[in-house]
Amino acid sequence: MFATDDTIVAIATPPGPGGVGIVRVSGAGAVGIAGRILSTSSRLAPRRATLTDALDPADRRPVDRVLATYFPGPRSYTGEDVVEISGHGSPVILRQIVAAATAAGARLAEPGEFTLRAFLRGRLDLVQAEAVHDLVTAVTPRQARMAFDQLEGTATAAIGVLDRVLFDLVARLEASLDFPDEGYHFIDARAAGVEAARLAERVRGLIVSAQRGRLIRDGCQVAVAGRPNAGKSSLFNALCGAQRAIVADAPGTTRDLVTETVDLGGIPVTLVDTAGIRTATEEVEAEGVRRARAALGVAAAVIVVLDRSRPLDADDWALLEETTARPRLVVVNKRDLRAAWSPAVEPRMAACRPLLETCLIDESAAAGIRGALQQVIEGGAPLRDTPALSNVRHIDLLGRAEAALQRASEAAGAGASEELVLADLEEARRALEEISGKRTPDAVLEHIFEQFCIGK
Amino acid sequence: MESRFDVIVIGAGHAGVEAARAAARMGCRVAICTLSEATVAHMPCNPAIGGTAKGHLVREIDALGGLMGEAIDATGIQFKLLNRSRGPAVRSPRAQADKRRYGAWVAKALRREERLTWVVGRVGSVIVRRDRVTGIELETAAGDAGGERLHARAVVVTTGTFLNGLVHVGPRRTPAGRAWEPPSRRLAESLKALGLPWGRLKTGTPPRLHRRSIRFERLERTLGDEQPVPFSFMTGRIDRPQVACHRMHTTERVHEIVRANIERSPLYNGQIEGIGPRYCPSLEDKVMRFPHHERHQVLLEPEGLDVDEVYVNGYSMSLPVDVQQSLVHALPGLEDAEMMRPGYAVEYDFVQPTALSRSYEAKGVAGLFLAGQVNGTSGYEEAAGQGVLAGINAARAFAGDEPFVLGREEAYLGVLADDLTTRGCLEPYRMFTSRAEYRLLLRIDNADLRLTERGREVGLVDDRRWARFQDRRSRFEENARRVARTTVTLADGKRARASQALRRPDVDLDWLARSKELRLEVAPGEEREDLWTVETHFKYAGYLERQEATIERSRRLEHRRIPASFSYSSLPGLSREIVERLTETRPETLGQALRIPGVTPAAVALIGARVSA
Repeated sequence: MFATDDTIVAIATPPGPGGVGIVRVSGAGAVGIAGRILSTSSRLAPRRATLTDALDPADRRPVDRVLATYFPGPRSYTGEDVVEISGHGSPVILRQIVAAATAAGARLAEPGEFTLRAFLRGRLDLVQAEAVHDLVTAVTPRQARMAFDQLEGTATAAIGVLDRVLFDLVARLEASLDFPDEGYHFIDARAAGVEAARLAERVRGLIVSAQRGRLIRDGCQVAVAGRPNAGKSSLFNALCGAQRAIVADAPGTTRDLVTETVDLGGIPVTLVDTAGIRTATEEVEAEGVRRARAALGVAAAVIVVLDRSRPLDADDWALLEETTARPRLVVVNKRDLRAAWSPAVEPRMAACRPLLETCLIDESAAAGIRGALQQVIEGGAPLRDTPALSNVRHIDLLGRAEAALQRASEAAGAGASEELVLADLEEARRALEEISGKRTPDAVLEHIFEQFCIGK
Repeated sequence: MESRFDVIVIGAGHAGVEAARAAARMGCRVAICTLSEATVAHMPCNPAIGGTAKGHLVREIDALGGLMGEAIDATGIQFKLLNRSRGPAVRSPRAQADKRRYGAWVAKALRREERLTWVVGRVGSVIVRRDRVTGIELETAAGDAGGERLHARAVVVTTGTFLNGLVHVGPRRTPAGRAWEPPSRRLAESLKALGLPWGRLKTGTPPRLHRRSIRFERLERTLGDEQPVPFSFMTGRIDRPQVACHRMHTTERVHEIVRANIERSPLYNGQIEGIGPRYCPSLEDKVMRFPHHERHQVLLEPEGLDVDEVYVNGYSMSLPVDVQQSLVHALPGLEDAEMMRPGYAVEYDFVQPTALSRSYEAKGVAGLFLAGQVNGTSGYEEAAGQGVLAGINAARAFAGDEPFVLGREEAYLGVLADDLTTRGCLEPYRMFTSRAEYRLLLRIDNADLRLTERGREVGLVDDRRWARFQDRRSRFEENARRVARTTVTLADGKRARASQALRRPDVDLDWLARSKELRLEVAPGEEREDLWTVETHFKYAGYLERQEATIERSRRLEHRRIPASFSYSSLPGLSREIVERLTETRPETLGQALRIPGVTPAAVALIGARVSA
């Protein structure tokens, strides 16, 4: 990890021109450096915007008229002294201000370094620090909402509640062990087993919710598959609302994988339009088929498009067979044409649910498909609450806690002695505490902070 | 008298005797200073050794070559294995001691050490030149400063509750380290002048009754185990007849008397400032702080076979004598009991042990070691455990060797040293099994397998113990091999590997002993001990592996050292409170830093970044 005792500087607003751009300076030298690069003669007043000029260090001439605000530590974003300089959002000007600051003694911040400092100084816990990243990279309002809630501490609170219950259980079991002669009964092993099982259940609830959270945070891939010319590209276009994929009547037109990301009820869903899966006749097409199968393998859900105007063939049945265990939406297309078959009377189609009969070139088809697809992806009814946790690290640690609680519950139920039950309960506690960063190996920290973008 | 020694030990309590004997056995010329030869290894409170976690400490002291285990095995009058119905990691031996015989046995054992010299007198000061101990100065016979000087390169302070001790019985306050024994004031001042941080604690003891005045026939008898489990790996069987203790409970009348007189208790009227142990509450605390408990257990414990005093366990108090009298008489069976000595509370100064390194050496004064209750602990076992390590380290300091430190994953003795030196004491520190995060590995049955080799390396384990240990270890290894490779027939007729079979709840120690297919090797008199280790090794293999894995994960932090000169205040990422804590405690490793209360993982990451840079 990088040094934490110098003063750092970076542009905090996105790259490229904009109305306003902000340069952030943080560290013990922030005020001094600001004094050297701004024309203001008096010291910056805490938490008051001061109109002044940013100067070119070479000739002391103004490069921009700026607003400078001083946030004294520890009540600042990083917990250190912070000066924020808002200038006009020209990349050239902002880079000049940064250059002036580095010439005055600041160091260019590494990605995520402002947030790292906030974490190190206890301004944010680990989940909150992660949420900062999620908030600024959010592409759907639901993502932003979830990240904001996490930043407000909802995740930490949800884990805190579990940890308190767990802590109490641990304490009572420990008391039974360490004071065997007191004649008080603190908790009996079976009751402890029941309580551990209840906790495991609650952790499982958090995992389910975190998996949904992860869906919102990271989004998912949905593969669109089907025989050539069944209407995959039309479906793709219906969902995207734009003519992205090439649509033509000749089979085998789509050789490449076309992807597009859409906001599906707050979840960023990447649709992968697979090349028609069939026995390929030319080399280029064979490559397309190979990619299609790979995409099908990793997708979180599959949309199978069938053509109602032609009889189902071996390729259709193979595809249905192949995807039967996956989260899947079956779309029976071309309701506008004469039916060669019907899902209602085809007995082998009975298990294909959910299933939509539609006409994809019809503009009204999109809404129905969107709703059905969202249900398939979310694996049931839409979430009522915003998930408290949302990334792979959270899910992994929750999984560890759940497994340990499960072991504890089984051991207690089987009449194992308290210290064995406690060994697992302690492991569960360690996992929960690691989520909020109360106890965490520093490698995890580095990994997390590597993902940050500069200036946040 | 010769006035030049290698190591001087001040105090001959449970810490002092272990320290002096360890240093002497390691080849040092040792002087042990005591106020009286009659109170060597004295038990001023409970006449018992061991208990949960404390029994573990005694086993470990023994495994390293210390005294306490053999002493209690030789002089115990009732033995009990606590938590017998629970798992092997929390079973812990406890014994009632004949306190006179115990002290005499220890004194005799020390007199056999040729390199050990007794000095009877009061130590007035520790002499320090340029941050290095050079010796001590005794008080004169008249109690003045400027008595004889003794020189040594290492001094171990084990003064218990004597530093500015103040005994309270109701409104009466007597300067004393223990009942009737004058405190050490000058020595306390001398140590404070060295800049060590201080605090004040309180502890207490119950009244003692005359055995002939107690109606034992009306009380419930509690007996020891039929076959005692010894503390020491050197003891075979204990076949001595055992005595009974007696159990009773407090009554509503007792609680009424306490409540009616609470204003006369020094604990409740502000007379006592020191902080007492929460885990060993006085009768006043039990009644006032736990009003929802209708009754509390009281045990009558004999202080010895031919001693008249009977100890009233669970009845410690500092109320005036007349109230104590009525409280005793309010207990059923004690209506006519004669109180030989009242209970009392004692307040005393202690050194905040965060000022020490894990070898018990003061961080700012080379050669000065502190061990026992003076470090804020309570209990004979905690004292002895620090004593043996302080003695080993004093001898090593004299020889110029690296400190001998045990890890938290190695021993309760390691947990003790680490807790004291990283967390300090807010109340008298007592060992509990819950303090050991690797509890499943730190068992009484494997204390020798964990520690005897280490004791041998430092020169404390003698040939006799070493030979016995090697036999036991090879039996264990052979037995473990047999279990690992043998397939056995179970009660239901199924065949299974013995190592797998042992994970079933119905396959236990007795099964191991009976199994003809395994034919495990056991030494006569040590059957249970031998089989226990094997049983545990396999029965809890899954748990043990998980704990080993956790230890492995924490190793990186535990081994990253922080230089003694590290400047926390120049690390601007840290809050002022954390800087203060760290500067005061000076943790030796990142792992230790993380255990200091209030120090966050983020702060440790910050330090880690600087340390590696």
